[in-house]
Amino acid sequence: MIEDFVVRAQGVARTFGHGPAAVVAVHGVSCALRAGEQVALVGASGSGKTTLLHLLAGLDRPTVGVVDWPSLGHIEHLRPGPIAVVFQGQSLLPPLDAVENVELPLLLQGVDRHTARSAAVAALQRLGLENVASKLPEELSGGQSQRVAIARVLAGKPRLILADEPTGQLDHPSATRVIDALIESASAIGAALIVNTHDSAISDRFPFRWSMAGGRLLQEVATPC
Amino acid sequence: MLNRHPLRSTRLHFTWVGGLLRRRTGRLAATAVGVALAVALLASLGSFLSASKATMTRRAIDTIAVDWQVEAQPGADPAAFTAVVGAAPHVVASEAVLFATTTGFESSKSGTTRTTGAGRVLGVGDSYRSAFPGQLRDLAGEPNGVLLYQQTAANLGAVPGDTISIGRDGLSPVTVIVSGIVDLPQSDSLFQTVGAPVGAQPQAPPDNVLIVPASMWHEFFDPLVALRPDLAHTQVHIRLDHHLSGDPAAAYSQITGQARNLEVKLAGTGLVGDNLGATLASARSDALYAQTLFLFLGVPGAVLAGLLTAAVAASGRDRRRREQALLRTRGATTRQLVGLAVSEALTVGAVGSMLGLGLALVVGQLAFGTTSFGATTGAAIGWSGAAVLAGLVIAAASIALPARRDAREVTVAAARQIVGRAANPRFMRWGLDFILLGLSIVVFWLTSRNGYQLVLAIEGVPSISVSYWAFAGPALLWAGAGLLSYRLTNLLVSRGRRLLGTITRPLTGALSDTVAASMQRQRRLIARGATLIALTVGFAVSTAVFNATYRQQAEVDAVLSNGADVTVTTSPGATVAPTSPMATIIGATGGIAHVEPIQHRFAYVGADLQDLFGVRASSIVAAGRLQNGYFQGGTAGQLMATLGAKPDSLLVSAETVHDFQLVPGDAITLRLQDGVTKQYIDVPFHYIGVAKEFPTAPRDSFLIANADYVAAKTGSDTVGAFLIDTGGNNVLGIARSLRQQLGTTATVTDIAESRKVVGSSLTAVDLGGLTQVELGFALALAAAATGLTLWLGLNERRRTFAIATALGASRRQLGGFVWSEAGVVTVAGLATGMVTSWALSVMLVKVLHGVFDPAPESLAVPWLYLTVVVSSAVVSTVIAGAATIRSARTPNIELLRTS
Repeated sequence: MIEDFVVRAQGVARTFGHGPAAVVAVHGVSCALRAGEQVALVGASGSGKTTLLHLLAGLDRPTVGVVDWPSLGHIEHLRPGPIAVVFQGQSLLPPLDAVENVELPLLLQGVDRHTARSAAVAALQRLGLENVASKLPEELSGGQSQRVAIARVLAGKPRLILADEPTGQLDHPSATRVIDALIESASAIGAALIVNTHDSAISDRFPFRWSMAGGRLLQEVATPC
Repeated sequence: MLNRHPLRSTRLHFTWVGGLLRRRTGRLAATAVGVALAVALLASLGSFLSASKATMTRRAIDTIAVDWQVEAQPGADPAAFTAVVGAAPHVVASEAVLFATTTGFESSKSGTTRTTGAGRVLGVGDSYRSAFPGQLRDLAGEPNGVLLYQQTAANLGAVPGDTISIGRDGLSPVTVIVSGIVDLPQSDSLFQTVGAPVGAQPQAPPDNVLIVPASMWHEFFDPLVALRPDLAHTQVHIRLDHHLSGDPAAAYSQITGQARNLEVKLAGTGLVGDNLGATLASARSDALYAQTLFLFLGVPGAVLAGLLTAAVAASGRDRRRREQALLRTRGATTRQLVGLAVSEALTVGAVGSMLGLGLALVVGQLAFGTTSFGATTGAAIGWSGAAVLAGLVIAAASIALPARRDAREVTVAAARQIVGRAANPRFMRWGLDFILLGLSIVVFWLTSRNGYQLVLAIEGVPSISVSYWAFAGPALLWAGAGLLSYRLTNLLVSRGRRLLGTITRPLTGALSDTVAASMQRQRRLIARGATLIALTVGFAVSTAVFNATYRQQAEVDAVLSNGADVTVTTSPGATVAPTSPMATIIGATGGIAHVEPIQHRFAYVGADLQDLFGVRASSIVAAGRLQNGYFQGGTAGQLMATLGAKPDSLLVSAETVHDFQLVPGDAITLRLQDGVTKQYIDVPFHYIGVAKEFPTAPRDSFLIANADYVAAKTGSDTVGAFLIDTGGNNVLGIARSLRQQLGTTATVTDIAESRKVVGSSLTAVDLGGLTQVELGFALALAAAATGLTLWLGLNERRRTFAIATALGASRRQLGGFVWSEAGVVTVAGLATGMVTSWALSVMLVKVLHGVFDPAPESLAVPWLYLTVVVSSAVVSTVIAGAATIRSARTPNIELLRTS
């Protein structure tokens, strides 16, 4: 059933620039994902992973083709809410402490402050971060920051989680803790999960793996597409 | 490792600067704008100051009737004396003037004889009037022949055609027929005591003066000279070549040197009464005041532009720190990092300076019609060079110095910090703001002890000094208030989180607490922005208030001198009633809002003859635009009300109060001329207060009484002058029309003419021109301080806004963050800036007391300019906020990719 897909891309291409200087970052990609499915998007640097992720998150628009979210609705109503993104590198808002960062998407959705705070605290507790709740981003380690970013995603109980190199700047133990938290949390709320990574140790932990090269999607293993 | 080969190092600098120009265009451009404003302001004001100083001499000496009065000393050979003086260098015209002392004048008319006290008779040659046209002013009758001074004519009741006799000590009187009545506009200098010691009390000019042709003088007084040589003397009046240095101080030295040279040549046979030197001595004070005004008004502007540049540069400091950290990881040394920052500073300084000079050229062309502001090419180039140097220093101080400090002291880890929980700045912990404000009050108090004497020009002493110490008061106040505004804003944002949440709720809705928390963590940034706005507004508004107050007082002075928009002064001796045909003509002239007749008499207070003005108590306050500062013992309204209720009330000068030891309520008997008998009669009055100034009144002693009472007691309601209120409209047209209609029966003067005369002193500074440049730049700085710093501050957090947008923040929600922060910065800055500007204005007006005449009763608030400043700040805020929201309304993919 098409309606089962939380996200679907059909013949999607994304070109940056014009004329001879134009760069085709994503070329003819078609894929789809259902609720609860978890995919590792792998590929070398510059293969188009981040661009595809941004297209699937609705942060960018394809030059050609269509991206839609059949079981979620129109993109204008999906962020904040059903779609949540973990960004590459530091993505917490510097002037807000950890718990305020986590509750922010809920407040943006219009959730009342008390409920938002409870959900944020719960999300931090789930990731073992309750002791850093009042710390500012600059007072957190890289791993803690990324886990707070994951808590921010989870607090809103999204249906689709897209993580762009969430462990790119972390050491191995920290990266493992972050990925563990992401996979477990996504499973706990039944959300579909796509994680960009070029680390095979991480991608091996996912049941599905999409591989990209030169902006094209290569189906190396069984995928839902 | 970065290459350290010199050539490659140079290439590195070019590469770095090229990269900055391409990738950090906005930041560099904004910093260059700050430098440009400082350079343009300094170049404009400096050139303008040079131009002003260059024309001060000409402006100052324009109104001098006689440059030198060289007086022959007893025993001098008149012919030899006149020859030596006439042959002195730079003499353009010379005329001998003969002075004789008379025992008095007498006139007999209609069976009545009137006499005066002792007086002077002057003998002048036929060409005197053409050589010195400013010395005599015709009031009635013929311009040549026997001319009677108007006050003497009033004393004698004489008009042209009357015969008067001249008393000669030890000889029989002689009679003459009066050809005309004249005024002696510069009687003070004409009758000066030549050779009086420096600092001597100036001698009052005589009330009784007659001017006769030289031949007649010789006929009448040569016999007297033979008997009493002490009763006569000779002067040679000189007009000099006015090709003098434009700077009054230099011209003063030049002229006084020439005067001394002549005295040496005269070898004791003559002394020089140096009117030109005396005027230049006063003008050199004005020149120095011009310089002090430049310092007071110009330097803070340049400092502010420097602060703006530093703030703009500081808004990119986090990014620069990260870039430094990155370069460090690539092996850059501290020296290389500093070198790259210096290259950036030089680039910004050079570009900003060129922009600034261009802006100065445009300002000069627009404001003064000349790109050099009227200054010489050399002066304009000199000031431009100095301004460029200042621009480079500002750029270096704003970019290179912080970069050097960061490169030496800040660790790579610390460079990552964006917000931080750092302690309050040191100045807050030390209480520097309170210390500066306290010092400001102490300095102000110390300055006030010498009566705010900013410029000290001692008569006869070539050197002139300025109490630069007085600058410290306003400067410390400005700096202290700026730091205090930082403290207050910081306090509001850090402690008033709940209050801010409540205030911003209409903008932020459910996000109010989050937005307040965000502002609390960014309090240093917010406080810094508010401080810059407060300093700018403080500067702009206090400058505008000072300028407006100056203009207000110049207008008051003009009104005081002329009396009203247009003043019709009746001829001495003429009988003009308030209902006379002249009054009818004036009343029928179109465009006149109100006509106020005032009496002008002469009254004896003891032995002193003083001007007496009879006024209508009910209408003179408005018609004469009387200020409370003109009086002591009550407000203008109160004293005039008393004058109306108790008609025998009298206002006298402070000098008279002192001389006669008067207390309010004391009876005074004046001797006034009876309108019928022309004899002086005793008229009783009661002293009620002191009059320091009054429209048309002389600077020295005068009296003010109730016109009806004076008319009743003297039997004459003759009007001395009609003060005409035109409502400020068509002053020149109405004055012209009245001159045509009234002919020689009255003198018509207008306020426009008066403004020129009043302005001759400080217009030497031409504050109007300074104001245009000053206020224009202040406005630009106010707009830049709010818009630019806000926009750059917000721009530095583009990634934060990009993340918020990616998280799903709507445009309205994003606006909540942006508008709340922008609003707090702008409102806090404007509020503290307004308070600062009020305090600064009060202090500035007090410290620059010397430029005001009369002293202001209250500050003039230029509401329009104030509205424009506030509006420009608000508009700049709106533009900066809107630009930020616009750029963040769609997720910025590029920014999201960068960490």
